[in-house]
Amino acid sequence: MANNHLTSESKQLATWYFTFAAILFGAQLLFGLVAAIQYVMPGFLYGILDFSIARILHINALVVWMVFAMFGSVYWLLPDETGIETVGIKIGKLLFWIFAAAIVVVVLVYLFIQVGPADATTIWFITEGREYIEAPRWADWGIVVVALGFVANLFLTGIKGRQSGIVTVLMADMIAFAGLYLAGMFFTDNITIDQYWWWWVIHLWVEATWEVFVGAIAAYGLITMIGAHRKVVEMWLWIEVAMLFGSGILGLGHHYFWIGTPEYWWEIGALFSALEPLPLVAMFIHVLYDWGKTQGAEMADEHTDEAHVKSVITNKPAFTWFVLNAFGNFLGAGIWGFFHTLPQVNLYTHGTQFTSAHGHLAFFGAYATILVGMMYIAVQGTNGIKVMKHTKASLWGVSLITGGVVGMTVALTIAGYVQVLVSRAQMGATWAAYFDGQSGLWFAQAMDWRLIMGTVTFLGFLFLAKDLLTTGKNPVHER
Amino acid sequence: MANKSVWSDNRFWQRSATWVTGFASILLIWLTFDTSAQIAMGNDEDLKNGVTKRVPGPTVINYKITYEMDAKRGHEVPVIGGKEKFFGRDDWSEEEARALLHLGKLGSQAKNCMDCHTLLGNGAYYAPDLTKAWLDPAWGPDGAMQALTGKNTKEEAMAEFLQHPDQFPTHARMMPDLGITAEEAKGLVAFLKHMSSIDTNGFPRNFGRMQGAINGK
Amino acid sequence: MFEPFTDVVPSFFGWLNQGPLTLTIFLHTVIVLPMIWIYFQEKKRLENEN
Repeated sequence: MANNHLTSESKQLATWYFTFAAILFGAQLLFGLVAAIQYVMPGFLYGILDFSIARILHINALVVWMVFAMFGSVYWLLPDETGIETVGIKIGKLLFWIFAAAIVVVVLVYLFIQVGPADATTIWFITEGREYIEAPRWADWGIVVVALGFVANLFLTGIKGRQSGIVTVLMADMIAFAGLYLAGMFFTDNITIDQYWWWWVIHLWVEATWEVFVGAIAAYGLITMIGAHRKVVEMWLWIEVAMLFGSGILGLGHHYFWIGTPEYWWEIGALFSALEPLPLVAMFIHVLYDWGKTQGAEMADEHTDEAHVKSVITNKPAFTWFVLNAFGNFLGAGIWGFFHTLPQVNLYTHGTQFTSAHGHLAFFGAYATILVGMMYIAVQGTNGIKVMKHTKASLWGVSLITGGVVGMTVALTIAGYVQVLVSRAQMGATWAAYFDGQSGLWFAQAMDWRLIMGTVTFLGFLFLAKDLLTTGKNPVHER
Repeated sequence: MANKSVWSDNRFWQRSATWVTGFASILLIWLTFDTSAQIAMGNDEDLKNGVTKRVPGPTVINYKITYEMDAKRGHEVPVIGGKEKFFGRDDWSEEEARALLHLGKLGSQAKNCMDCHTLLGNGAYYAPDLTKAWLDPAWGPDGAMQALTGKNTKEEAMAEFLQHPDQFPTHARMMPDLGITAEEAKGLVAFLKHMSSIDTNGFPRNFGRMQGAINGK
Repeated sequence: MFEPFTDVVPSFFGWLNQGPLTLTIFLHTVIVLPMIWIYFQEKKRLENEN
């Protein structure tokens, strides 16, 4: 990437993080396609790249690209928010290379070694075999070191520079984010204790710290892209933090219904997690309200009729992704999550394609969208663009990806219904019941549609990648 | 700014956010202590004295486990019954059983079980849930798996299957050969038997109770 | 009003769980109530600033 317009080293480092994140995003989609094909044709790559391996790569690439893009976003906004260059940027750059190299090694081991004997060396060097955090223990320690370095950069810069509300929230959020990872770094024979702490990492990351992170990024985006009033934006941010952490931390209980934990978690999990969509509604209203309000103020200033008023948005593609985030977060995390969060429903939906449908739309809607938006903001800054417009590729990219993910979600939701009704409610959840559900016509067709929609998503990614690489030089933008 | 509302005041929301987050975190830590005590693994003494633990000790492999409706709690719970032979023995000592369970739990992670199956309902959805796999009628005397694997007991049939899953196709979607050794397979079966004895608050519902129920009949 | 205790092991939280919603309503109340105190404190501060 040409970075002649970037004077800040922090922003330069951010572009490295974004580039690597985009590559991993592509890898995530590719391995997702492999897994989707295997549902339709079980013999595909059987014994070479089995479903388990494809899926590990699919979900690990997902987590890692998002973490990379999150680090990138922080390095990008720090100079703007604090008014100074990031402290310890040299260490930040070194840690980037360590992180990237470690990930390449982990991926190669997943791909070519895959499984190991049942002893501690496997846990340390091949796989920990715990969904989402399969990374072997040596890599865990690497991640801890990298995360601590990142948090140190953030804290030192935040303390030295101007401390805006956004930076304060990010500082509190990122220390929790890094610290929670430690909860997933031990081995126990007791599967109930294992899963208890495993959810501390997965849930408290995804449904608490990551969501708050998104709130902070959305606040930054609204200020930079449409010139929203900082005081208003930061007030909303604090409301969101209160509601997200208030519901999300104890909402953890909805993972403790069936893993051997006491019955009182039914109550705690049900009501706290039922409130989890509320902050997402707030975020949605907040984004659209600020947009309308700023646009309205612009119109009042210009004293012209509506048709001649210029858009207040300085980065169209990024803002599109941010608005999609408001919708996607509410629909994917909020509605699809609420669907099956009550224990009475979850008794039958737990461990079915329902979860998968929710996972796809929530990760996309809540995180992928806003992080892609940040990538566009970085492209804009890197190329010194004043007003960034849509191109054909950016429109194709956003439409195909969104359409594809929504299509996959619908397909998986239908598959989930079949599984819940046939395998769970009707047949009693055994091995035979499972396969009865899987071979149902509706299930099989849903899986076909998932593959088709997955392919559409991947095509959209190709457009997105092309656009991110080329749009910076496109003459349509105002410079 | 004469009558500025508290509701639009940043400091009010900042303090509220801090309070809510801090208090929710403290509650979670308290709950974690409470829960940790309840989900700690039991021991051989508990089993001998009939003390119910949410997660029984490893020597539960010496006993027969069933899954029965509990009228008081309104859902099914695992019930630990009389002695039952496991790989020809019902006198596995605490150390032996613990070692076997340890091997099985390690194996479940080393072979990435969770990335196709679900354990306690968590994992991937490409293969059946293993929470109560030990109690699945398919592996019992009337099920197909003992004849298919040529073994006479549930545990031996399971162990045989785990070592050569690609030789016993039960569905177009086959489990791949993961290089599981005889000893590892034994450990994995112990792990599965132990998992079926965990009190999961009635998940999964009606497990194995609807054999032959086709099209809702 | 008091339901029979059904949890396997008695505990403080299990005891609060006396039937539908008792436990969560209690916890939510404890979380939200102090915000009233924060509200009046901030209100006073805003008034003093004027």
